[in-house]
Amino acid sequence: MSESVAPAVAGLFVADEHGVRVLGAKCEACGTPYFPSVPVCHNPACPGSRMQPCGFGGRGVVWSYSIANFAPPPPHKYDQPFRPYAIAVVDLASGLRLVGQMVDPPEAVTVGAAVELVIDTLYHEQGKAFTTWKFKLV
Amino acid sequence: MQEVAVVGVGLHRFGKAGDAIVGNKSVTELCRHAVDMALQDAGISWRQVQAVSAASSRFSGGKGWGLNGNDVVEDLGSTGVPVYNLSAGCAAGGNAFNVGWSLVAGGVYDVVLVVGGEVMPKGMIQTAGTEEVTDPEFLRQRCVGIPGPAFWSMLARRRMHEFGTTEEQMATVTVKARRCSVGNPFARFQQAITLGDVLNSPYVSNPLRLFEICPVSNGAAAAILCSPQKARQFTGKPVWVAASAVATLGFDDSLPRNLAGPVPTGPSYHTEVMGAVRKAFERAGIGPRELSFTELQDNTCYYELAYPEEWGLCEPGEAEHLVEAGETAPTGRMPINPSGGFVSFGEATTAMGVFQIAEVTWQLRGQSGARQVPDASVALAQTNGLGGNATAAILKR
Repeated sequence: MSESVAPAVAGLFVADEHGVRVLGAKCEACGTPYFPSVPVCHNPACPGSRMQPCGFGGRGVVWSYSIANFAPPPPHKYDQPFRPYAIAVVDLASGLRLVGQMVDPPEAVTVGAAVELVIDTLYHEQGKAFTTWKFKLV
Repeated sequence: MQEVAVVGVGLHRFGKAGDAIVGNKSVTELCRHAVDMALQDAGISWRQVQAVSAASSRFSGGKGWGLNGNDVVEDLGSTGVPVYNLSAGCAAGGNAFNVGWSLVAGGVYDVVLVVGGEVMPKGMIQTAGTEEVTDPEFLRQRCVGIPGPAFWSMLARRRMHEFGTTEEQMATVTVKARRCSVGNPFARFQQAITLGDVLNSPYVSNPLRLFEICPVSNGAAAAILCSPQKARQFTGKPVWVAASAVATLGFDDSLPRNLAGPVPTGPSYHTEVMGAVRKAFERAGIGPRELSFTELQDNTCYYELAYPEEWGLCEPGEAEHLVEAGETAPTGRMPINPSGGFVSFGEATTAMGVFQIAEVTWQLRGQSGARQVPDASVALAQTNGLGGNATAAILKR
């Protein structure tokens, strides 16, 4: 029997036949990508905000990363015992620089590594697995 | 616009809540100590202060909504002076200095007190205050989990990739900082440490270790700013403000402060800091290589390597060698943080921008003892704070 699964925060990402994507927006006037979505474009050089919903996924390259050697304070949630994880800053080919946890162990992560966006469990609560977007080495 | 002088400065030594230095003192008590010292240094009385520019405390304060300017005024005696409470995260002290400078430079007041102080919560700073899905910081912490120091360690890791910086070189920055703190009566830590001590301290956020990241501290700082006419009445040796600038980050800033942004086409750096520092150099008419020394915001050793290069104090990729050659020590050719910096003081957020003004003033007067920069005549003080705030001030003899 598969465990019950829910997103840590609803409406931020999707996994379907087109793959995994975080759900943001893009300004059609100047091309600026946003995640999460914003109602108006923040680019001071934009000729006029034209926001459209847009998903960002696929592959990217690790710009840099750090390791959480200690658990962050609330509102972060994690399973006990705490296990250090890598946090990657990834330049996605789809144009978004996105921050996310790595699925892989910290010692496997390097700057410049190729990764892909995935959905993975962040923590468990009341018998339910709560998920978020993460990156995985490819 | 008129010239602005710094005629008095004061600090309460930084410490950890409950220790022998700060004990259980409130932020108001810490501020009173610093203000009394600054008033005495200037040779003026509280009743002569015409306005207060306060770095608005984020974590403490008797009014319960995170300010201390009003508390300080009430404590010193409610003279009815205007109080400007400035909020800019760790840059708030720099912002308060800038507003104090603006008020005097613009001729609105002749004598202004600038003050900042903090009683910090323990441990890592909690950056998200609410559980609101509309708060990007909540999403960042709930969905990813990014402890405060992780932002700095991402930058340090990237520098290691670009310049081949080693962990030993980063640790050397801390060894230098702690050597400066020896004999500084206001530093929380006043003992030198070895490379081995730093490299044996645990990782907080790999590649950054415990001794390479400033802890949270309690402390306070104050400065008295004056018009030239008043300054000459109060003191024979005023220090002059050559420039004071504030900036916020640019749209093209691509540092990972939020969950996401556009993939940049150029380099990634602190655009708010570059904005403030460049403006300060321009307004002062002083170039980066003319500085006698710099007090910069070293929340971690990374900044002592990156900032001097970004601002043109030295060439890109040169900082590690300057540190190793001792050139960033008070007697070197590019002294950085002769005070000992944030790594030796710990961070009492809103005090920091004013603490730097105190150190710069003492240095320019030649009163800094063992950590004195020889013949210091002009210096830069820089802060940056959460939300994309930065300040820069250039002071001269």
